Amino acid sequence: MKRRHVAALIVAAAPMLLGACGTARDDAPPPPAAVQTQNVKNVSEITAGSTFNDTDVMFLQMLIDNLEQGQEMAQTAAKRATRPEVADLAKAVQVTQADEIKLMKSWLAEWDKPAELDERVSLHADHGGMPSTGDKEIASLKTVKKAQFETAFLNLFLAHQHNAVEFAQLELDKGGNELAKSFAERVKQSRTDQVQQMLKLLAG
Amino acid sequence: MRRKIAYPLATLGMVASSLAVASSPAMAHGYVSSPPSRQAQCAAGSVANCGAIQFEPQSAEAPKGSKECNGGVAAFSELNNNSLPWKATNVGKSATFNWVLTARHRTATWVYYVDGNAIATFNDNNQIPAASVSHTVDLSRFSGRKTVLAVWNIGDTPMAFYNCVDVNIGGTGGGGSTTPTTPPTTAPTRPPATTPTTPPTKAPTTAPTATTAPTSTVPATGKEWAPGVAYKINDVVTYNGVSYKCRQAHQSIRSWEPSIWTLALWLPL
Repeated sequence: MKRRHVAALIVAAAPMLLGACGTARDDAPPPPAAVQTQNVKNVSEITAGSTFNDTDVMFLQMLIDNLEQGQEMAQTAAKRATRPEVADLAKAVQVTQADEIKLMKSWLAEWDKPAELDERVSLHADHGGMPSTGDKEIASLKTVKKAQFETAFLNLFLAHQHNAVEFAQLELDKGGNELAKSFAERVKQSRTDQVQQMLKLLAG
Repeated sequence: MRRKIAYPLATLGMVASSLAVASSPAMAHGYVSSPPSRQAQCAAGSVANCGAIQFEPQSAEAPKGSKECNGGVAAFSELNNNSLPWKATNVGKSATFNWVLTARHRTATWVYYVDGNAIATFNDNNQIPAASVSHTVDLSRFSGRKTVLAVWNIGDTPMAFYNCVDVNIGGTGGGGSTTPTTPPTTAPTRPPATTPTTPPTKAPTTAPTATTAPTSTVPATGKEWAPGVAYKINDVVTYNGVSYKCRQAHQSIRSWEPSIWTLALWLPL
């Protein structure tokens, strides 16, 4: 439904179609279909609207952090993976998540919130274990032996994408902004399906 | 480094466990990804009718001491069901078990059981495990199809994580290599007769070999976008009446359909 609106947006170049879930900017209409790549590629034209709660903000901040780590992992995998299927998945993740980062940062800017997690959120950390992927583990992907790279990457990135699903579920349960929730649903779906692909790639 | 951020795992854990109707605080999470455990086969979509575990394979968490595949968690009873079409991975005299850890926690031991007996124990001395964990387990005294119960005993909670991994020992004499080169003889394990409660979100994975067939550019051109297809750069699809050109080779999945959200993959024509 919402997705269809967004698709129609490209066709009809009618920014107001997004009005149901957010406030489309008058001054930033989507470019005509046939223009240059760089001009078309602008997800930040999707605006989130002014209604949001703390969970929306936390979700975006956590996911931006997750995606920035993911970019590093995917970059390494694009270079080091042996099988083209693994490299292609890494590259596709890289380009789609780069847009997602742009989108989320523009929403946080729209809400006048920082793109980084704040102290209040991090206070919860002492109750739990370590996040699945720390800087050390991500860096280790660059040095692990080539023969073991795909196994190491897939297991680490599986955990990473499972984490993104958990963030998305939090947003779906407790978020307030409709567009952010619909984005969370997309995140949940895409990562769940990436998990399927990666598990199959691991099984050989 | 720049990352001073910690994750509110307690919060997230509560969310995850509310999905599972599990009552325990979920502080750590993990499962065996390869050889694929039963929950990994569920999450991969290789086995249908798995119930809730397919969405959170990392959550088969229960008090220590169980010998059941689900650890005794009623919500994950499918894991105990030996009549589901679990694929047994061919292994040699040993097998390397790889874990996905979605939240790491202090670890007492990792224990592997066959026929109710512990056959290998790895003691972590209450340390926080590395991000990816693997153990090579000697299976030479067994042969044929066995179900290995792999248990992650958490160090500072009474909980453990349970996985059953079906293996066929001596199936090909792979010698315990981490990447078994065995062809997926069990093709689509999805039972054809049963109607899964969840809609089959994945189209059957179309042959990955399609990437090498140059002629396949023709059939891909102008077809309606579909999930589960290996698209190559310059493939053209239609979606909601609009044509798009593929900009980055990928295997299509849900929410990667051509739209303003996925301009990095699909260029509107």
